[in-house]
Amino acid sequence: MTAGGTALLLTFARRGEDAAIRQAVSRLRADGATTVIAVGTPVSAPVLSGLGLDELILYGNGRRAWGALREMRSRRPAMAAVVYSDAGYAGHLKLEALALLSGARRVQRIAPAGSSPVGRASLAAIVLAKGLCACGCALAGTAICTVAFVCLTLRQMAAGGSRASRP
Amino acid sequence: MGAGAAAQKAISPMKATIIIINHNGCDLLARSVPAAVEASDKAGGHPVVVADDGSTDDSIEFLCRAFPDVKVLALPRRGFGATCNASVAAAETEIAVLLNNDVVVTPGFLEPLLADLAKPDIFAVGCMFLNPDGSLTDALGNRTSGVWRGGLLQILHETQPDRLHRTCPQLYANGGGMAFWRDKWQALGGFDPLYHPFYWEDVDIGYRAWGRGWRVLYEPASVVYHDQGSTMKRVHRAPHIELMSAKNAVLFTWKNLLDGRLFRRVLAAQARWAADDVLIGGLPHRTRALWRALRQLSQACRARAKEQRERVRSDQEILALSSGGDL
Repeated sequence: MTAGGTALLLTFARRGEDAAIRQAVSRLRADGATTVIAVGTPVSAPVLSGLGLDELILYGNGRRAWGALREMRSRRPAMAAVVYSDAGYAGHLKLEALALLSGARRVQRIAPAGSSPVGRASLAAIVLAKGLCACGCALAGTAICTVAFVCLTLRQMAAGGSRASRP
Repeated sequence: MGAGAAAQKAISPMKATIIIINHNGCDLLARSVPAAVEASDKAGGHPVVVADDGSTDDSIEFLCRAFPDVKVLALPRRGFGATCNASVAAAETEIAVLLNNDVVVTPGFLEPLLADLAKPDIFAVGCMFLNPDGSLTDALGNRTSGVWRGGLLQILHETQPDRLHRTCPQLYANGGGMAFWRDKWQALGGFDPLYHPFYWEDVDIGYRAWGRGWRVLYEPASVVYHDQGSTMKRVHRAPHIELMSAKNAVLFTWKNLLDGRLFRRVLAAQARWAADDVLIGGLPHRTRALWRALRQLSQACRARAKEQRERVRSDQEILALSSGGDL
């Protein structure tokens, strides 16, 4: 990473991620980042604002991720760090997609057990694979809830009106 | 009736059985049982029973040796809910008090519970839970309420000391320290085996009691110290605990949320959970929780139909009344 660059710190700032977040900030600073911008939700804002970072970009609770993305891209980041809560880099598709679309040339994946760099092509493949997986999961979730809804509603109707709904 | 017995009757006209649920908690019993016995004596003498859920440690031998006056109900390993149901069924008093083995009661914890139970339409009264160091941080079970959000009933626990000083309604009494009328418990069918192996049974029975037209109270004068999850963490790994809790949160919704419009909205949110596992991640793995819940769908259907027949309050009324400040 070039000295004097801008770096993004992407995290959900969950419980148990504190050590990984601190590691990510140190890593970005050690790599020469002069400006570190944290990207998170309003829920994570108290944690992120306590890290002494240069800037905070928030999304969620009415603020669209697209707006945050435009803001991130306008900073022309040289590097991004995604913080994970487990060693398997599971979940976090939202942050990975933001890292990919932010235009950062290098992305570092930081988990409690360690960290590894990932190139843009690899990250794109990861985002694609996880995106397909998310679609599959959404279909599975919809199917389960539809079956449950039909069965439960039919059974409820068969049981007759409840005394609660009677005048 | 002798003078001593008459005095006892004056202290506490209602009789309660204090039931401590135990599984491999020999060291915890060394603290919880003497405290319960002392509280019982102070309240005029109420039977203390330890219901043992198939312990493989020295719990039973320890109890027989150290507390020969305490009755031990040695049951095969069937889980928390089934052990509670069996021990409540075996009790011979009109009131039962359930305590976890990691709950240490204060000497005066029982009398306020009994006084509250004498009020009309009360099903259960919950204690005030403090951490072993006396703090309230993250203490669960105090002045509980609920709100439908994000595909489930989110349980709220009051943690501000200034809002915990008076008796008031609450959604449910934490199963780790609650007193209740046994006849109402039996009418509700006790803890529902739908929630096997653990968690959400107490929320469910509290919700159903409100639905039947009864009330559940929080009593700050009944103080207990709770070393939360002591037994659970020994027996199960954290991911399994998270998964079972998420599974039961889904089943609670499927069984109890009878309002059609709200039910559709909550289920739509649950359908999105699966995608969130990938988009966001983190524990619990909610796709697995949905899948586990689906495997118990027929059980949930039967329980929902029963609830539909017996409910006299709407879902909105239950949440509004249980979060109200007035007795």
